[in-house]
Amino acid sequence: MEKIISDLSHHIRLNKGFFLWMGFLVLAFIACLYAYTRQLRYGLGVAGIRDYISWGLYISNFVFFVASSLIGMLISAVLGLIGMKWVHPITRIAETIAVAFAAVAGLVIVMDMGRPERLAYVFIYARFQSPILWDVTVITTYFVISLLLLLLPLIPDMAVLYKRFANLPGWLKPVYKALSLNWTDHPEQNRIIHRSIYILLILIIPAALSIHTVTSWLFALTVRPGWDSTIFGPYFVSGAFVAGSAAVIIAMYFFRKNYKLQDYLTDLHFNNMGKVLVLVAFVYLYFNINEYLVPGYKLKRADAIHLGELMSGHFAVTFWLVQVGGLLIPIILMLFRRMRRPLPLTIISIAVVLGAWFKRYLIVVPTMAHPYLPIQHVPDNFKVYSPTLIEIAITLLSFTLVLIIITLISKFFPVIPIVETAKDKGLDPLKSIES
Amino acid sequence: MKRLFYIILLVVISSLRVEAQNPGWIVPDDQKAKICLVKFTPDMLKQGEALYMKNCQSCHGIPTKKNFAAISPTPGDLSEPKVGTQKDGELFFRITTGKAPMPEFRNILTEDERWSVISFLRSFHKGYFQPDPEKMAGSIGKRIKLAMTYDTVKKKIMIKAIELTKEGPQPAKGAEIIVFVQRYFGNMQLTDTKRTSENGFAGFDWPQDLPGDKNGNVILGARVNDPAGKMQEAVVKDTLAIGVPTNKPALTDTRAMWSTRDKAPVWMILTYTLAVIVVWYFIIFIILSVLDMRKIKQA
Amino acid sequence: MDENTVNKKDEQDPSQSSRRNFLKNIGLLGAGVAAGAGALYSGDIFEKKKAATGESKVLLTQDNRLVEVDSLEMKALAKNPTKLMLEKGREGIEGRRWVMVIDLSKCRNARRCIAACQDAHQLKPEQYHMNTLQMQDAPGTSPYHMPKNCQHCDNPPCVAVCPVDATYKRGDGIVLIDNERCIGCRFCMAACPYSARIFQWTSPKDADKHAGEAYNVELNVPQKLGTISKCLFSADRCREGKLPYCVSACPNGVYYFGDENEDGVTNGTTKETVRLSKLLRDNGAYQLMPELGTKPRVYYLPPKNRLFPFEPSTD
Repeated sequence: MEKIISDLSHHIRLNKGFFLWMGFLVLAFIACLYAYTRQLRYGLGVAGIRDYISWGLYISNFVFFVASSLIGMLISAVLGLIGMKWVHPITRIAETIAVAFAAVAGLVIVMDMGRPERLAYVFIYARFQSPILWDVTVITTYFVISLLLLLLPLIPDMAVLYKRFANLPGWLKPVYKALSLNWTDHPEQNRIIHRSIYILLILIIPAALSIHTVTSWLFALTVRPGWDSTIFGPYFVSGAFVAGSAAVIIAMYFFRKNYKLQDYLTDLHFNNMGKVLVLVAFVYLYFNINEYLVPGYKLKRADAIHLGELMSGHFAVTFWLVQVGGLLIPIILMLFRRMRRPLPLTIISIAVVLGAWFKRYLIVVPTMAHPYLPIQHVPDNFKVYSPTLIEIAITLLSFTLVLIIITLISKFFPVIPIVETAKDKGLDPLKSIES
Repeated sequence: MKRLFYIILLVVISSLRVEAQNPGWIVPDDQKAKICLVKFTPDMLKQGEALYMKNCQSCHGIPTKKNFAAISPTPGDLSEPKVGTQKDGELFFRITTGKAPMPEFRNILTEDERWSVISFLRSFHKGYFQPDPEKMAGSIGKRIKLAMTYDTVKKKIMIKAIELTKEGPQPAKGAEIIVFVQRYFGNMQLTDTKRTSENGFAGFDWPQDLPGDKNGNVILGARVNDPAGKMQEAVVKDTLAIGVPTNKPALTDTRAMWSTRDKAPVWMILTYTLAVIVVWYFIIFIILSVLDMRKIKQA
Repeated sequence: MDENTVNKKDEQDPSQSSRRNFLKNIGLLGAGVAAGAGALYSGDIFEKKKAATGESKVLLTQDNRLVEVDSLEMKALAKNPTKLMLEKGREGIEGRRWVMVIDLSKCRNARRCIAACQDAHQLKPEQYHMNTLQMQDAPGTSPYHMPKNCQHCDNPPCVAVCPVDATYKRGDGIVLIDNERCIGCRFCMAACPYSARIFQWTSPKDADKHAGEAYNVELNVPQKLGTISKCLFSADRCREGKLPYCVSACPNGVYYFGDENEDGVTNGTTKETVRLSKLLRDNGAYQLMPELGTKPRVYYLPPKNRLFPFEPSTD
C-alpha cells in the first residue's frame, strides 16, 4: 500500500524540472499575451483574416480544442460504463485533458471576437435560434461536468494523501484537506459519491456529443459548399475521438516517463489505447469517405470547385498530408502490435494530432476561400489567406494555457487514481487510516 | 487629287455620323422665349438646391466643382458660361424634355420645381439678370382646368378639361391628358396619354389589380401634356378609394429561425430551456449532495 | 416626406445664429447626417405630442434645413441621439416592403453606385456594400457586369445565426445591423451565401474625424471597429422618401427601387415609375441562387439586348 502511495504521488513536489518547464510556459504565455494586446488595440486586422476568409486559425483552433476535450467522455463514460477495468489509470489523464481543452476553447472563441468586451451580450441578448448560444451553453455544461468528474474521484485520494503521504508539501495541505471534504470512507459517503459519478457519467455522454455536434453545426447550418452537410455531427464527433485518443496517448507517455509510472501505465494500456485509436480512426475514415466521395461523385458546381481546391488546388499538399500522413498511414501502422508499444504509438499519435489540427484548418478555410460569387475588386490579401505572426502567437497562447493547466493539475495531484488502483489490487487504503 | 477627295468624303461622312449619333439639342424658338412668371426668391433657390442635389447631382456633380460623371456624352458642370449664356426658356426646355441618358423631368418635377432648379443654377451664372415677369404678362397662353372622377361602371378614370376663356368656361377639346398614380418614390403614368373628346372628357382604363393603401385609397394626378409650353400648367390631384385594399402584415410577424429572440419558434425556446433545466438540475443536485458529505462523520 | 417638417419662413430670423450656437454647444451640429436624421426623429415624436405641450422651436439642422422641434424633445435628443435612432431603426416603415430590381442589360460597370455608397457609409475603397462583379454563367455565354449587394432575404441565413440580435430583419424587409450590439463573431459573414457582409478589421475610414458622433443605425455610421457592416437599402433615405444612394447615383438606368406592396418601382436614373409585376414579367426576372431558399428581395433582369459591347473591368 505504501508503495502505491509513494509511486503515484512522489512527483507532487516543487523541483527544478518543474520550475524550468513552468518558467518556459509562463514566458511563452506572456510573449503571446503581448500579441493579444496588439489585437485588442488595433482590431482583428492584425490577423490575416479578411472579408471572405473571415474565419481562420482561431476558429480552426477552437474546433480542435473542442474536439480534443471530447476524449474525457469516451474514456471515462463509454469505456468505464461498459466495465473496462484497464481504463481506470487513464481516466484522470483523460479528464484533465478534457477540462483543460474545454476551458481554453471558451477563451479561444473570445480571442476570435471583434468586440471581446461585449462577451456578456451573448448571455444578456441570448438568441435561442443561434448555434452560438447552444455552443456556449453546452461547452459550459460539459466543462462543469468534466471538472466534477475530475474532482469527485479525487476526493478519496485527497483524504488518503492528506493523512498518509508524509512528503506532501505544507502549502498543499489545506488544499488537499478542503478537497477531501472530510472523507472517511463512510458507507453513506461512498453511496453518494458513486451515485454522483454514475449520474455524471450518464450526463456527460449527451453533453459531449452535443458540444461537438453543435460545433459542427456552426458550419453545417450554413448553405456554403463544403459545410452544407448532414453528416457533419458524427463526422466531427468521430474526428474528435481520434484527436483526443492521440492526445491522451501522448500525455500517458510523458507522465509515464517523467513521473516514473511504468508499473501503472503499462504496455498493456498503450496497446489497448492503440486499439481504441485505430477503431475510432476507422470510423473517422468511414465518415471521410462519405464526406468526400458523395459530393465528389456528383460534382455539383460549387462542390466541384471546393473539392478541386482541396485535392489538386491550393490546399492539396496539406490535404493529402493530413489524409494520408495523419490518418491512413497511422491506421495501417497501428494494426501491427509492435507499433502499439509506447514509443512508436506516441510518435504515431503526434502525427495524428498534427493531422487533426490541420484537418480543422482544412474544414474551415477552403470553404470560405471559395464563396458562390467571385471575389473581385479587392486587395490580394482578401483572396488568399495567410496567417500573420501575431495570429500564430495568439494561437500558441491558447496552447501554452492548455499546457499550463495540464501541468499544474498533473503536478500537484496524483495522475493515477490511488484509491481505485489500490482497490483494483484488493487493498483498502482507508481501512488502514483508521487503524 | 483623288486621295484628297477621299479624305474630304471621309471627313464629311464621319461628321455626318457624329451628327446622327449626337444631333444638336435644338430648342424651338417659342420655347426659348419662355420665362418664369415669378421673381426668383431665396426660398426658391433653396428648394432648387435640394432638388438639384436629389435629381441632378449624381451626373452633373456639384456646380463649380467640375465633378460631373465620366459618362458619354459628358454631362458638364452647369455653372459654366456655356450654360450661363443660355436663355431661361432653353434651360427649362432641356430639363423638361431631357435627352438620353438625361431623363425627361416633365413627369418628375413640376413646372415650379423646374424653375426652382433654374433659380439655383442661375446663382452660379455671373452677369445674369432675370427677365422681368411683369413685362411679360399677357403672353401666358391658354388656361385649362381639370376635374377627375371615377366611372364605376366603365371602370375608367374620367378627366374633364375645361378651358377658361373670356366668354366663360368651355369644354377643352383635344387636350392631351396624362394620368399618374402616386407611388412611394415617384408618380407612375397610367397607360398612354389620351386626348379629350368634343365635350372635354378623356377616359382612362383603371387597372383593377393596382394596390392602394389599406382602405384601397390611391392618390391620382392628371395634367395636360404641353411639351410646347403653350399654356399654363394644369393639374388636378385627388384621392380615390379605387385601389385594391392592401394591408400586408409586416414581414416580422411570424415566428422563424431568423426572428428576434422574442419571436423564436416556441418549440426551440421550450427545448432549449428544458434541456438546460434538466441537466443543470442534476449538476446542482450533485454538487450540493457532495458538499453535504462533509457533515458525515465515521460512526 | 421630410418636407412636412421643414419650415421655410425663417431664413432671416435674427435668433437663428444663437440657435445655431445652441446646437453647436450640445454637440449636434457636428454630428453630421446622423444628427439631421436624429432631428427628424425628434420632429416625428413632436408631431404626436404637439397638442400636449404646444411649444415648438425652429432649429437649423446640419444639412441647412429648418426643423420644428419641441423644446422638451430637443433635450431628450441631446442626451442620447444614438439610443433614439437605435429604437427607431428597429421598426420598419409601416406597410412597406422594399424591393430592388437590377437591370443587367444596362450595367456598363460605371461603378458610380459604389462610389456614392462608399461615400455615404464611410467605407474604404476596398469595402463594398455594393460591388459590381464580372460574371460569366457558363463557358460560351456572354460575360456581363452584375451589381451585387445584400439581397435582404426574407429567409436570411445571416440573421438566423446571430447570437445577440445585433443583425435583424425589419417589418419592411430591410436587414439591418446594430453596431452598438454586434460582438464581432462574424458568424453572419460565414452564413451569407452572397458574400454581402464586410467587417471592420482595422480602424474604420476617418475614425478620428467621426469619433464621438451619434451612431445612426439606419446608415451604419460612424462605422465601428470590430463589427459588421453591409448594404442597408439606404434605410435612412427610404424614411425620407428618397431613393437609395446607389440607385440615384447610377448614370445608366440599372436600378429600380420601390415598394412591393404598392407594386411600383422607380428607376434611379430616369425617375420613371413602373409597375413591379409588369417589369418582372416582361423581362424574365430572376433572383440570385433562389434554390438556397433565402427568398431575396433583389431581382435581376437578364443581360440581354445590350446596346454596348462588354468591357472587362480593369482590376
